Amino acid sequence: MLRNSRTERLVALVLVAPFLAIYLLAFVYPTVQMFRISFTDAPLIGAGQWVGLDNYLRLDNDPMFRRAVWNTAYFVLMTVVPGTFIALLIALGVSRLKGRFQSIVLALFFLPYILPVSVVYLIWDWTLNFQFGIAMHVLDWLGIPRVPVFKSRVWFLPAVAGVTIWWTAGFSILLFLAGLRSIPAEIYEAAALDNSTRWTTFRRITWPLLWPITSLVFTIQLILQLKIFDQVYLFSIGGRPNDNMVLVYYVFQKAFQQNQGGRAAAVAVTLFVLVVVVSVLQFQLLRFAERQRR
Amino acid sequence: MNFRRMMAIAVVAAGGFWAVAAQAEETVAWWDLLGGGDGVRMKQMISDFNAAHAGKIKIDATTLEWGTPFYAKVQTSAAVGEAPDVMTYHASRIPLAVSQDILQEITADDMSKMGLSASDFAQTTMGAVTVDGKQYAVPLDTHPIVLYYNRVLLKKAGVLGDDGRPLGMKNKEEFTATLQKLKDAGVEFPLGSVTADGNFMYRTIYSLVCQQGGELLTGNEFLAGDNGKKLANALTVLQGWTKAGLQSTYTDYPATVALFTSGKAAMMINGVWEVPTMTDLAKQGKLFDWGAVEIPVIFDKPCTYADSHSFAIPKNKGKEISPDKRAAVLEVISWMDKHSLFWATAGHIPAYKPVTESAEYKAMQPNATYSTLTANMIFDPKSPKAGVAGPIFDIMSNYFVPTLNGEMDPGEAVKSIKEELNSM
Repeated sequence: MLRNSRTERLVALVLVAPFLAIYLLAFVYPTVQMFRISFTDAPLIGAGQWVGLDNYLRLDNDPMFRRAVWNTAYFVLMTVVPGTFIALLIALGVSRLKGRFQSIVLALFFLPYILPVSVVYLIWDWTLNFQFGIAMHVLDWLGIPRVPVFKSRVWFLPAVAGVTIWWTAGFSILLFLAGLRSIPAEIYEAAALDNSTRWTTFRRITWPLLWPITSLVFTIQLILQLKIFDQVYLFSIGGRPNDNMVLVYYVFQKAFQQNQGGRAAAVAVTLFVLVVVVSVLQFQLLRFAERQRR
Repeated sequence: MNFRRMMAIAVVAAGGFWAVAAQAEETVAWWDLLGGGDGVRMKQMISDFNAAHAGKIKIDATTLEWGTPFYAKVQTSAAVGEAPDVMTYHASRIPLAVSQDILQEITADDMSKMGLSASDFAQTTMGAVTVDGKQYAVPLDTHPIVLYYNRVLLKKAGVLGDDGRPLGMKNKEEFTATLQKLKDAGVEFPLGSVTADGNFMYRTIYSLVCQQGGELLTGNEFLAGDNGKKLANALTVLQGWTKAGLQSTYTDYPATVALFTSGKAAMMINGVWEVPTMTDLAKQGKLFDWGAVEIPVIFDKPCTYADSHSFAIPKNKGKEISPDKRAAVLEVISWMDKHSLFWATAGHIPAYKPVTESAEYKAMQPNATYSTLTANMIFDPKSPKAGVAGPIFDIMSNYFVPTLNGEMDPGEAVKSIKEELNSM
């Protein structure tokens, strides 16, 4: 059958055109504008004067920016690797269950993921409320003095990290389960015949075969958590927002609260570059590790 | 006549009537940020207005979320011509709004059209809605913080005066003694304050600074001269109470109200907007005998922080408001102010003096008791960075929470606050 390549190309273009139009309008154009605004001193709305690299140079001396970078890095450290491993452990556990019981347990672990962030915030704010939270009664029973978790500088980010892992683990668990199910049972049977222990089975069979999924989950989580905002914003209302600053919150503060659109754009561009660099680095690292394995 | 002709005439007539009717009624788009108990009362007022002006003016009201979302939305919508015809606005945010050029001026002509005059409002309140000599909003109310107290618990501890008000309201030593007596009588938290929310404690702390004759912003400098010391004094007093167990620690807003209504806190410093909460609970028989008064004088003179809900007309870029619509908006504002007696049931103090001087208002309790504080009110400094949900609030909140709960030294906190405010 002959294929008319010109007609096919035309059809392809027509089918892709709507998406391309919306993508260009809603994503590419604003991003280009953001790059442009970061070189001006524009307020939130309206035009500004060209200031060149001034906004970027300012960031160098900005203690709040530095704090935002550190806090974001700290947060990523606490959520990406631990979150992935927790999800993997849960997936391994769930995969051992059978039938309806497995479905129920899986649903329970996935339930937090369907909640919107404001509901997650309310649940945990009330649980850890210093005066009335149920978690505080557990502390009382254990004889530990109560901790005002979300107002304390030490415990804020770890607590938010914990809540985030609780909230987003469901998705990673699903991915891991799909990966586990795709490993043929015969391999496990062969390993059992060779008297392989649980740990060796995991190390030699499950982990390498699951590697594509694991690296995918790592990458998704890394990019997601670098952009953390909702939970940090909600949990630090009225508390210590400037102590717990993270990068996207800083962009929000500069743009919407202090009405400094140009400077906010500079921070946003910096974050953009950071995310690109980190994810490319991570991707290369994981590919390198994979090649080592072979 | 044949059928078709009759139908044609009927359609034209109906269309004509409809067009005439539509033209006769002005729809005023209204945005406010009044959720909660006072929002319920505002909705009542809006429907009363619509009933009284049926066929002439109809308010189409939308309630948006309080805080930064509201102000950001107003700013962005005004820039594209999608702002409402009238909106509620906090007086403390007006300087910023004026610098963003999103408010229309309210001229003397407008005021006379509404039947209002500057002398109908308190001087400080009018000052709060005026920038550079021009008026940008019409005040509806002022909402200060007050001291709520539990008469039953106070009587038990022997700190209730014969007039039904707490004892020890005149200076720091006496008030601390009152708190101590309550503690000794077995009250868990003599004073409930929202110590987990620095934004909210700003109101109490600012009042205490004002009581020492201090101010936050002098010209262009924050905490100039000995104002820093005065701020440290205020923080030291509050921190002392928390450390001595006389004030609740790390309590957020709902928890503070819960502590008071459950009797675990004998007194509470909170905004007047909690009055309807207490009144409604009392009506259901679920609350003790309670009262509300002006906050105690801890330092040299009485002074209470207040903000004001006022009505402002946004400047819509590209879509100028029509004169008919503007006249309808002025009618809305005028009616709301003149009928703000009902608004007083939300706890707020109406800004329109003829209402507060009326016999019905004077009979309202506890409103009439605390409304005398209007003589000692102070508003936010006039700065584009000031106002609820603004950057000044954020900076101060960051340091207030640890200081009030004993984690940070007041002197250190003031130093950091001063640095950050002046480098904004």
